[in-house]
Amino acid sequence: MAHEMMILALQLGVILVMTKISGWLFSRKLHQPKVLGELVAGMVVGPYLLGAIPLGSLGPLFPPVAGTIPVSPELYGIATVGSILLLFTSGLETDLPTFLRFSGKASVVGLGGVIFSFLLGAGITVLLHPSVHSIMDPEALFLGTICTATSIGITARILGESKKISSPEGVTILAAAVLDDVISIVLLSVVVGISIVKLDGGSIAWSGIGVVAAKAVGFWAICMIVGIFAAPHLTKRMKGFESLGVMAEISFGIALLLAGLSEMAGLAMIIGAYIAGLSFSQTDVSAEITERVKAVGEYFIPVFFAVMGMMVDFSAVGSVLGFGIIFSVIAFAGKLVGCGLPALFVGFNLKGAFRIGSGMLPRGEVTLIVAGIGLASGAIGPDMFGVAVMTMLLASIAAPPLLVQSFKGGSGYRKQLEEPVQSHMVTLELEFPSERAAEFVRRSISDAFRSEGFFVRTMEGSVRSWQIRKEEMVFVLRRSAERIEVIGRQEHEAFVRLLLMETLVDFQEFVDSLKSMEQPEMMGAGLLLNMFAKQQSSDS
Amino acid sequence: MKIKSILSPELITTSLKSSTKEGVIGELLDILVAQKKIKNRDEVYTALMDRERKMSTGIQHGVAIPHAKTRAVTQLVACIGLKPEGIDFDALDGEPSKIFIMTLSPIDRVGPHVQFLAEVSMVIQTQEARERLLLAKSAKDVLSVFGI
Repeated sequence: MAHEMMILALQLGVILVMTKISGWLFSRKLHQPKVLGELVAGMVVGPYLLGAIPLGSLGPLFPPVAGTIPVSPELYGIATVGSILLLFTSGLETDLPTFLRFSGKASVVGLGGVIFSFLLGAGITVLLHPSVHSIMDPEALFLGTICTATSIGITARILGESKKISSPEGVTILAAAVLDDVISIVLLSVVVGISIVKLDGGSIAWSGIGVVAAKAVGFWAICMIVGIFAAPHLTKRMKGFESLGVMAEISFGIALLLAGLSEMAGLAMIIGAYIAGLSFSQTDVSAEITERVKAVGEYFIPVFFAVMGMMVDFSAVGSVLGFGIIFSVIAFAGKLVGCGLPALFVGFNLKGAFRIGSGMLPRGEVTLIVAGIGLASGAIGPDMFGVAVMTMLLASIAAPPLLVQSFKGGSGYRKQLEEPVQSHMVTLELEFPSERAAEFVRRSISDAFRSEGFFVRTMEGSVRSWQIRKEEMVFVLRRSAERIEVIGRQEHEAFVRLLLMETLVDFQEFVDSLKSMEQPEMMGAGLLLNMFAKQQSSDS
Repeated sequence: MKIKSILSPELITTSLKSSTKEGVIGELLDILVAQKKIKNRDEVYTALMDRERKMSTGIQHGVAIPHAKTRAVTQLVACIGLKPEGIDFDALDGEPSKIFIMTLSPIDRVGPHVQFLAEVSMVIQTQEARERLLLAKSAKDVLSVFGI
């Protein structure tokens, strides 16, 4: 046991150092998303490359482990925690109202992608694989399913890095990717059901498969509804701890619980984690939870991506390279067209549709889960597992630059569908004689809000805008030069007026106290005189 | 913030006797002392008068909201007094003040103190509500205006 733990510590150390250096190299020098660097670092140090080289008496640092996952269960466990952290933060960073507003569009996009990809993937297997003759053949079914899942992890990381998570395209991609994963897992349970029966030479029991599918969809729907309604009450209770740290830690605990329950219900763990994040995203402490969870994520998430990279068995890919490339291209096309085309019909322009198509390209954790189950059940061989990994890899390498590139430029949403400006908002303005006075009062206003139990945080991408939030009350505080603005809903206007008035009364008192202060230049002179007095005494 | 959890009939008077700012504030404080809501009357009186000196809390349409932060309370306390004839409270609109809502909140304690003040003010922002309040004969009538 001690030996395994020692190896784990060494492995984690190497992974962290390598992913961080490689991530830095990719993002700073190659202008690519960090995640690519982390994946590549995993491939390089993993069991199929450098990791297999024996290091004296220690042996190889990453000895290949038999089975579908070539790393130790301990390391895979840490990687799983990383994937849960990743999806929990993705959920936290999703703007729930926008998510719900776009969930209809996302369903169309997600379903389009799944159906189109599945048919293309299964079709090309029937066409090119000599031993597969029907779309109902287990191998065709599995390869079709492999095409359907989108790696929400990779996409979320790229969208997060480029601050596009809450854009209409970003939310649609994430919502569609989540739905994709749900549909893929449901599809997987159906495909596994059919395969088992087929491999045994029997007939298909559709009722059993239906139960599995209904359970998965039911869990998803129930968790979403309960989560969205329960999270605000839960955080309200947790405020009793008077510690944001404790709140963030308990919230992550809940994410882990939901992840486990999700797996129990037959869905992937990452789906439970995402639902937990999404539920907390609408609470007034979401920013504080996100900040704390993200800090922990910086240590664990690279491990997840590195382990994904480590799964690539270069020798298995070699024998099916030709088919793998064709299959990957087909999988690309399936998502680009299958998701992009429906996007055009739900309000996006060509640019938006392309963004959504590219956002849905990355394959990842669910692809591997599907392929792994296929391999374990005997439905696909190591060669087709290699194809699945190759598809995941090529998509994951090609999609990030494409996605980053696609997000350059203007809105991808058709103008007439853009949200109208909210009319029930009120702006209160204060003007001061100088910027310094305005900044002083701005700080006092923030403090006044805090003493009323509000959370104040700097708004993303801005140095002079703050979001102030408590439960359903939300305000925006802005300072531009000598002017301060507070924007809020009309029904909260009286509160803001009173709060500003109290702050100004305090400010007045401060100004009066300054007037009664001894001349500051005399104080300064006193300081200098004292300095020379000390020097004189040291001279003598 | 529930107005109901802060206000009760014992904290309301419909017939203030004084006709000066100092007198009304003193009378309202006496109510809080009688209900054992505050410990040090003099300290609170000084805090309230200090606040009045900085800027009168007599706002508009006969409503005044004398308030202060003080160590004499550990949680928000409030009381209401009515003087239908009105008195000079140095109100911002120059009109005599008739409805007095006093709130005291603790120093260095996070809580919806201004929010409570805002919620109470919102109830009496219509002329109809203010008229109903001034016609109140008992504490119960006053509370009914606040929906209690």
